[in-house]
Amino acid sequence: MRRKFATDFRPEQPTSAQHQRNPGVSDARRGEPVLGYNLRLRRDPPGAAPETGWPMKELRETHFSSIAEVASAFERQGYICDERIATCVYLAHNLEKPVLVEGPAGVGKTELAKTCATLLDVPLVRLQCYEGLDESKALYEWKYAKQLLYTQLLKDKLGELLDGAQGLRASMDKIHAHEDLFYSEHFLEPRPLYRALHEPGGCVLLIDEIDKSDQEFEAFLLEVLSDFQVSIPELGTIAARVKPMVFLTSNNSRELGDALKRRCLHLHIPYPDAALERRILATRVPELDARLRRQIAAFVEQLRVLDLKKVPSISETIDWARTLLLLHATELEPAMVRNTLNTLLKFETDIEAAGEQLRGFVDKARQAAAGG
Amino acid sequence: MQRTLEDFYHAVRAAGVPVPPSGSIAASRAVALVGYRERDLLKYALSMNLANSRHEQELVETCFDDFFRFETFGSTEAASGGEDAANDGPEAAPEVRPPRPDGDTTPDYQGDLPLAQMLMQRDRSALARAMQEAARDAGLTDIWFFTQKSLYTQQILQRMGMRELQEEIRGLAQGDCPTRIATAGALREAKDWLYEEVRDFVERQLGIYGKTAVQDLRERHLQKTRLSNIEQRDFHTMHQLVRKMARRLSTLYSRKRKRTDRGQLDFARTLRSNVAYGGVLFDTHWKQRHIDRPRVLVLCDVSGSVQAYSRFLLLFLHSLNDVLARIDSYVFTSGLAPVNAIFDRYPVAEAIDLIMAEHGFGGSDYGGMLLDLERECLAAIDHRTTVLILGDARNNQLDPRSHILQQVHQRAKRVLWLNPEPESFWNTGDSVMRNYRPYCHLARTCNTLEHLERLLDDLLKAATAS
Repeated sequence: MRRKFATDFRPEQPTSAQHQRNPGVSDARRGEPVLGYNLRLRRDPPGAAPETGWPMKELRETHFSSIAEVASAFERQGYICDERIATCVYLAHNLEKPVLVEGPAGVGKTELAKTCATLLDVPLVRLQCYEGLDESKALYEWKYAKQLLYTQLLKDKLGELLDGAQGLRASMDKIHAHEDLFYSEHFLEPRPLYRALHEPGGCVLLIDEIDKSDQEFEAFLLEVLSDFQVSIPELGTIAARVKPMVFLTSNNSRELGDALKRRCLHLHIPYPDAALERRILATRVPELDARLRRQIAAFVEQLRVLDLKKVPSISETIDWARTLLLLHATELEPAMVRNTLNTLLKFETDIEAAGEQLRGFVDKARQAAAGG
Repeated sequence: MQRTLEDFYHAVRAAGVPVPPSGSIAASRAVALVGYRERDLLKYALSMNLANSRHEQELVETCFDDFFRFETFGSTEAASGGEDAANDGPEAAPEVRPPRPDGDTTPDYQGDLPLAQMLMQRDRSALARAMQEAARDAGLTDIWFFTQKSLYTQQILQRMGMRELQEEIRGLAQGDCPTRIATAGALREAKDWLYEEVRDFVERQLGIYGKTAVQDLRERHLQKTRLSNIEQRDFHTMHQLVRKMARRLSTLYSRKRKRTDRGQLDFARTLRSNVAYGGVLFDTHWKQRHIDRPRVLVLCDVSGSVQAYSRFLLLFLHSLNDVLARIDSYVFTSGLAPVNAIFDRYPVAEAIDLIMAEHGFGGSDYGGMLLDLERECLAAIDHRTTVLILGDARNNQLDPRSHILQQVHQRAKRVLWLNPEPESFWNTGDSVMRNYRPYCHLARTCNTLEHLERLLDDLLKAATAS
């Protein structure tokens, strides 16, 4: 009964044609969303969340029943998250609120959204922000060339259409009797936001580096983020089929507006401590020897205390661990560390600053690894 | 529990995090989802919904820790383990003052006054609960100032039944029965203890709810105080205040952009607006837009009388550096001295101290300053430059050389003169304001932080208006 209810209300079955219209959304997973969702519906637990009025939404709510479950599910996907992140994802998923993720570069802000998409088994729609990004690149664009071409092609059809009409008024009435074909979805070029709202099974929408965009774009996003709908003057208001799960990331290169922040859950991801970093390394570079892993984590932790231009974050640590693995290192050696330091530190001045204390750091890291 | 949450939002607001109603609704929904069982999760859920930045997140979490501290009676003295710990532990003996009946000397209370019963049975949790309820009835969350402490203490005590307790004690003390008199003595002791506990509690609550009220009042006062009267110890607060005002102005003006009419063609936009002309590109639109940032040349008198004002003007201007394209700062007493280099090298507040120490002596000579200006930077002043002069125009009977200012006036976009003296004092004594005033687009009294803010607001508005 319930299943029928859900399918009946689904506004449009996804067809392969529709998928082809959205070439930017890359995924092999897209092949089976309908089946996948219906199967999931049957797993609906008895204590599921109350009716939200939009039947499709229920499908999403079956996923996480507790915060601990979120954390373990993320871990299975290879993303180690602390309680704060897990709480945030759980709340965002259940409250249908966007998440504003802040933090230094490379701590896994973008990765969080990607993992979430994998976990929920929905496509990830990504919108990279930059200065000058406007709604014609983010939401939709009319296919002007096609429109112009069609007006030329259909010129002679106009005569047939107006056949028998007397005078200007009658001709206009005749034209008005037809719907506005040129401003219909056939001439619409969908952009990421539009695609995200139209995704039949819902999606994870990642709006990356929102701080790089302009003030106007930020204001434009407000409608999308609070009501999950957009207004297109020619078509009217378009609401999301399934409210997407939205992640916004920011490096704080400029202060975001209060209105935007208020609509989001605020999550700050800091640099991890050594213990967390060891766990991350263990999942990301599992081939690594346990002792070397401890040494790496201890070494990087010492580096972060230095006054550096760009402090190494998790992604750099992982890169470095992979580098060391490639070089068949079993233990940190000052010479090897010196030669591979450029994967960890990105500025010459930083490398020089760290270079002076390198030997001490390596010794300490070894001691810490031996002690732990 | 909803009441407690509301009190918590109140406390968060008092801690300086603005929580709009929508925020508190969202937070309450989040709490309903997360539940109360795990303290950390509750804390994260609340801070995620209430905070908008990392700084606010810290504020909310500190506030959470303060607010949801386990409130028990005597918790500040003894371990918060409850009555058992207090009874067993010998170390708790001197601090925990409620009379303890383990000795046979302690009398039994046989009356039926609930407060007296609670006190005699040392029922800490019941007392704490009664106190919380009384506090809520008394509206303790509205506490603002330390002067309200005794008022709220009294109100809470009355609501807990202090008056009845006093009467009970009086009743017991009358007559000759020794046990009754002993009970009265024990109750009196317990009453004093209760009073102190409640006062401590009110004090802690004042710390939570009244924190920013006092600060706000102080800031408001400082904004209206003449800058020369501000004392050294308030400089730190003033610097923060200036930074806050500057941030407001820069968010207001940093994003104003003007459209340009050259550069890269915005094809889609152009096409869209030219559909009406049959696709002929007639009405063009361009991609680039530029932010129009004013260039400021600031000349500050740093002689004794005006030094304090110059300090804050410079501070304000340099806090605005993201909305100002270029600030050329000069200070003068008799000759002009460029101070940009110092600002480049040191943080703003420190730089100003250095400048004042280095240049801030001697009487002012405006004519000499203008001569230097003519020689050194008149060529650099163009139609985009706003010239900002701060000084009292008290020239010590020297030649004002106002013809130079006239040239500046002709070249610059705007010339603004800020005079710390009220307008009625201008042109009195050795003030030569009358000579300079015709060559200023705007001459204004400026002696409080508020004046400064208003003036810079004008400056930015004029600069960004298209």
